[in-house]
Amino acid sequence: MKDWAFTTTVEQMEEATNSLLENAKKVGADTWQQRAKNQSPHCGFGEGGTCCRICSMGPCRITPKAPRGICGCDVHGIVARNYLRFTVGGTAAHSDHGREIMHTLHQTKEGGNYQVKDPEKLLRIAKEWGVETEGKDIYALAHEMAEIGLLEYGFPFGEQKFAQRAPEHTKELWRKAEIMPRAIDREIATAMHMTHMGCSSLPEALIRQALRAGLSDGWGGSMMGTEFSDVMFGTPTPIDTEANIGVMEKDNVNIVVHGHDPSLSEMIVYYANDPEMIAYAKEMGAKGITVSGVCCTSNEVTMRHGIPMAGNFLNQENVVLTGACEAIVVDVQCIFPALGPLSKCFHTKFITTSPIARMPDSEFYRFSAETAGENAKAIVKMAIENFKNRTPELVNIPNQKQKARVGYSVEAIKKVLDGVANSQLDEFGTTKPLVECVHSGVIRGAVAMVGCNNPKVRPDTAHIELMKKMLENDIIVITTGCSAQAAAKAGLMDPQQAKEYCGAGLKRVCELAGIPPVLHMGSCVDISRMMVLASDIAKDWGINISQVPVVGCAPEWMSEKAVSIGNYVVATGIETFLGVDPYSKGSTEVTELLQGENGVNKWVEAKFVVDTDIEALGDKMIACIEAKRAALGI
Amino acid sequence: MTLFDRVFGGNDYNYERTVAAIDAAIATYGEAEPVAFPDTAYSLPCYYAVTGVKISNLGEMKAAMETIKAKMTRNNRLHDAFESGIASALCAEFLEALKYLHGATPYTEPEMGHLTDAFVRNLGVPLVTGDIPGVAVIIGGAETPEETVALVKSYQNQGMLVTITGEGIKHVAESGMKTGEGVRVCPLGYEMQSVIHVVSVALRAALIFGNITPGDFPALAKYTMDRVRAFVNAYKPLSDEIVSYGAGAICLGFPVVSNETENMFRVPKSLIQQLDTEKWNATSLEARDIKIKITNIDIPVAYATAFEGEIIRKGDMQVEVDGSRVDCFELVQTKEAAEIEDHKIEVVGPEIDEIPVGSKISLSYTIEVAGKAMQADFESVMERKIHAWLNCIEGVMHTGQRDMIRIRISKADFEAGFKFRHLGEVLYAKLKSEFEAVVDKCQVKIVVDAEQNKALRAAANEVFAKRDDRLKSMTDESVPVYYTCIMCQAFSPSHVCIVTPERLGLCGAVSWLDAKATNELDPTGPCQIVPKERCIDEALGRYEDVDEAIEKYSHGALEHVTLYSLFQDPMTSCGCFECICGVEPCSMGVVITCREHAGMTPLGMSFSDMASMTGGGVQTPGFMGHGKQFIFSKKFIAAEGGPGRIVWMPKELKDQVRERLDATALEMYGVENFTDMIADETVCQEDPEQLLEFLGNVGHPVLSMEPFDM
Repeated sequence: MKDWAFTTTVEQMEEATNSLLENAKKVGADTWQQRAKNQSPHCGFGEGGTCCRICSMGPCRITPKAPRGICGCDVHGIVARNYLRFTVGGTAAHSDHGREIMHTLHQTKEGGNYQVKDPEKLLRIAKEWGVETEGKDIYALAHEMAEIGLLEYGFPFGEQKFAQRAPEHTKELWRKAEIMPRAIDREIATAMHMTHMGCSSLPEALIRQALRAGLSDGWGGSMMGTEFSDVMFGTPTPIDTEANIGVMEKDNVNIVVHGHDPSLSEMIVYYANDPEMIAYAKEMGAKGITVSGVCCTSNEVTMRHGIPMAGNFLNQENVVLTGACEAIVVDVQCIFPALGPLSKCFHTKFITTSPIARMPDSEFYRFSAETAGENAKAIVKMAIENFKNRTPELVNIPNQKQKARVGYSVEAIKKVLDGVANSQLDEFGTTKPLVECVHSGVIRGAVAMVGCNNPKVRPDTAHIELMKKMLENDIIVITTGCSAQAAAKAGLMDPQQAKEYCGAGLKRVCELAGIPPVLHMGSCVDISRMMVLASDIAKDWGINISQVPVVGCAPEWMSEKAVSIGNYVVATGIETFLGVDPYSKGSTEVTELLQGENGVNKWVEAKFVVDTDIEALGDKMIACIEAKRAALGI
Repeated sequence: MTLFDRVFGGNDYNYERTVAAIDAAIATYGEAEPVAFPDTAYSLPCYYAVTGVKISNLGEMKAAMETIKAKMTRNNRLHDAFESGIASALCAEFLEALKYLHGATPYTEPEMGHLTDAFVRNLGVPLVTGDIPGVAVIIGGAETPEETVALVKSYQNQGMLVTITGEGIKHVAESGMKTGEGVRVCPLGYEMQSVIHVVSVALRAALIFGNITPGDFPALAKYTMDRVRAFVNAYKPLSDEIVSYGAGAICLGFPVVSNETENMFRVPKSLIQQLDTEKWNATSLEARDIKIKITNIDIPVAYATAFEGEIIRKGDMQVEVDGSRVDCFELVQTKEAAEIEDHKIEVVGPEIDEIPVGSKISLSYTIEVAGKAMQADFESVMERKIHAWLNCIEGVMHTGQRDMIRIRISKADFEAGFKFRHLGEVLYAKLKSEFEAVVDKCQVKIVVDAEQNKALRAAANEVFAKRDDRLKSMTDESVPVYYTCIMCQAFSPSHVCIVTPERLGLCGAVSWLDAKATNELDPTGPCQIVPKERCIDEALGRYEDVDEAIEKYSHGALEHVTLYSLFQDPMTSCGCFECICGVEPCSMGVVITCREHAGMTPLGMSFSDMASMTGGGVQTPGFMGHGKQFIFSKKFIAAEGGPGRIVWMPKELKDQVRERLDATALEMYGVENFTDMIADETVCQEDPEQLLEFLGNVGHPVLSMEPFDM
């Protein structure tokens, strides 16, 4: 259709990766590209979800000749149990991230490593939770809120507090379907219990619990992770930065942060900007210090400080392959154990920091809230001292980067919308201007693009091509996680250029509001921001979330967290489009429950759509948005 | 029905009736019948701007309907709605053009219909300076005539240009409100489609000032969106036809504010539902990001740039200050700070209420200023502003300068309590606000006494004579630096004027002293110092310093400019030039015409035609825009022989420059009464043969000059 001439194409990115793989060859390093080949073809039972190894009578694998496991469970029960366990793996990860944030909040103090940077937000949430704020010291309040938040994981009775933010209609649906989330740990434990040998084998019950566990993540653990990270580190506002491997600086000490929890990386960023450290770097022969990131830790620090994004999930080995990475500092989730042996092929220090993510061949700096400052300073210092150990002939930083404007929290989006409202008639602080754009047809709808990379899909292609297709069709894209980084690397978040390629409607909106057409909303826990945005839109519009012309899409997803996310997005009433099958195709019943008209769709007014043909997936998304418009008579 | 369906419906309606109207016209007059709007070089302006194709007859218009049809796609996307809006607007232009068929004059007062190129060019400077902060396009009328009139007046008081289409015209006419270009209230026509005439102004502004290539629609729409501060106020009910024009307007960046709720949608900053029509002014300004310069002057009548062109007729006049009969003058003088009491307004002699109605009186005002950064050279710069300052008073008309001023104060003002003292209030307020950086203290003395004024005038004339001597001695050679002027870049992004003592800005509004003052008032502003240290060619006026400045301030669009040549890298124009000169090849002379002259020149081109050859920062050798005062400069096309090359000018322009031009010609060529040797429309309108004959008869010096080195 259009010539997206200014963007960095997947081909160009692959060319850059290929030049880095040359480096890998030189040092004899192993890479995911090779390991993916070694692992192909994948196990058909695993892919279909039809292998059960929950008890030691098996493993049982379902075939036409052996249609039931030893216990008698049929393929539908097995697939559904596997699906639920897969889901709660993600729920646990996200929610434990949220829990860590609550513990850090509990450690905040005036002048300490961790402080309350957005007291207004803390007060707002306290009011929302019915906590008395009058006359309270802000840190006393923070500690009180941390304790209340931590109880969300284990309270004996009641519903998730943040779930109350959803529109009334949505909450009614949840209660009616018995999926209103209770304590987070309970939903995970219940799921593990249900899938224990000899418990549930009824697919409907297992899928219901998958939705419920998912909701305890999206409207529970993840939402706490997001909201209280904002309280401590600041609520993101639009900020300009750059993305792609070229953000690493040849002459600087390069520290790459990776993982998901912003607590450590916030400290690293702080000390990398410390004049004392910069002077030390110069003393050691570098021109300065560059912190960049991969994965969601990168998203966290780019949203709040404009720290450049070196890449996404499948670029994590690339940053080491540049030969110019002094340290890759990781916290939790999505970290390749391969980084250990890979770093040994270079001068790079691979630094693990969390007891949750321990790996061989790494240096472990046990990170805690009390000692965060010292930890971070020691790490930065060690990276600086490592600068001299580079092998100059191995240094290769492909000159590839794009401009990006990031930092679109819900608060920031409303602020942008205030900018196009008219003080003579409009109310400020709402999503109404956006609703008007959609209602009038200027924008057709919105897509929430999320998720990972996956070697099963040519990396980034699905993200980038789908986004372009949406933009050309006047559909605005909100995005998080590795999908956001794919967009940034390609240039789709460039506030000047990207709009030129959009349909006339979206282009005009971008011009008037001064935004790129693809809005970076943060890391994968920040999909909770998208849920808040969707419910605010529905409330401001006066319709149900499921009626709003908005869909979700995870075209290259790979982790358990992604399935947990998929469950809560669908359960929130947002049709969700997947480009990779969630190990469910072995069961017609489970497939029907997840993707059919009469499964989850009946309970929550939305379902999954799976299509590995990306072009077709995009067409289906547009058709879904247009169908929602037609149903509204717009 | 969706918003887009309404746009499509309005477009279809317009398309069908346009096809029918063209067919009917062809049946009557045939395909060869010419179509044109009067006094425009961009026929038909909207279609030409959008497609790059000119239409000159009915056959071409019929063929153009195919191009319009191709825009009428029907996908549910804003792109399609925008294109259909533009298609609908182009149909409206055709329908309006058909009204002018066969020499018809379809519009009579108060309706204005088509607005001429001269109208567009006159808007240039005031739009750039913010004196016209925006353009309000009113469609239809309010529930009561008073409400419409109140809205129009609210914009007029802010200095906006207002156009009215439909019912509102009647409301304004019945209220007895003055309309027309002079008061910036322009009723277009009763039919909705006549709104196209203001669209035509916006699009021509893009061609004239922005050098937008006709047919480059994205660039056109970007220009109007970024630089033309227009918006639409549409009273309910809105037909599909109006909604389709609205789509066209929004496409060009002009928001629409309406009180229609039936079948209507809202789009932020673009399509705004404001049910409280009293808030339309504020809502619209906010939607279009228009900031009004607030001039709070304590006088009993309105003060706005919209009143600048207002004419006070004899019958409406309370008193007249008449410098042609009695002793009058205006003067700015620098004093020591201790000599001035700030904001002292003194009236010596009778006040206005002590003078019989209809009197012609002797009146002078002396403005005394003091400031650490004040320079005597700024006095004349300030004096030249008095004309505009006093004219902005509602009901006051000012013409002339120095001791040849004429001021009329209307009966309405008198009744409102306006006093001579208030002239002083205006002078004080404006001087203090516009020359804030150099004027610390200011007082005004108004003398209404014939005896005193006689003596005061003689003293003032001594001051003027001294200043003239200084100005005369000030040549391009005698000053150390020149100045740039890029005030017009808000509209004409690649044009740069180089202002020298002998070559003022082409708009006529910026002399070297003005530029100097502007530079001192705002050192990072539009007038920057251009050194003149590295001369390449003195005769051409070619300097390395000038080229560097040109390249820098045109952002690379231009690399070379000469100060004195018409052929070699001539200076560019923004589009708001007072005059334009062009080569007349038979006589090897140049023809000059000015904006006020609507007629033809011996080049077979009108001002509009010639003006369309340049403007927007483009170099067109053989054509050059310039100010009136440049005509009698010795530096006028000095590289080609100077003002002796001038062979034709409109009579009115001749009379304006005669005295100074004759003096220059006498000095340069030893020719007496040179201006009489220049042909005008009374001896030759557009026939070069007639021109040559005339030049031969009077013995014009051009006949003995070398042919141009083209």
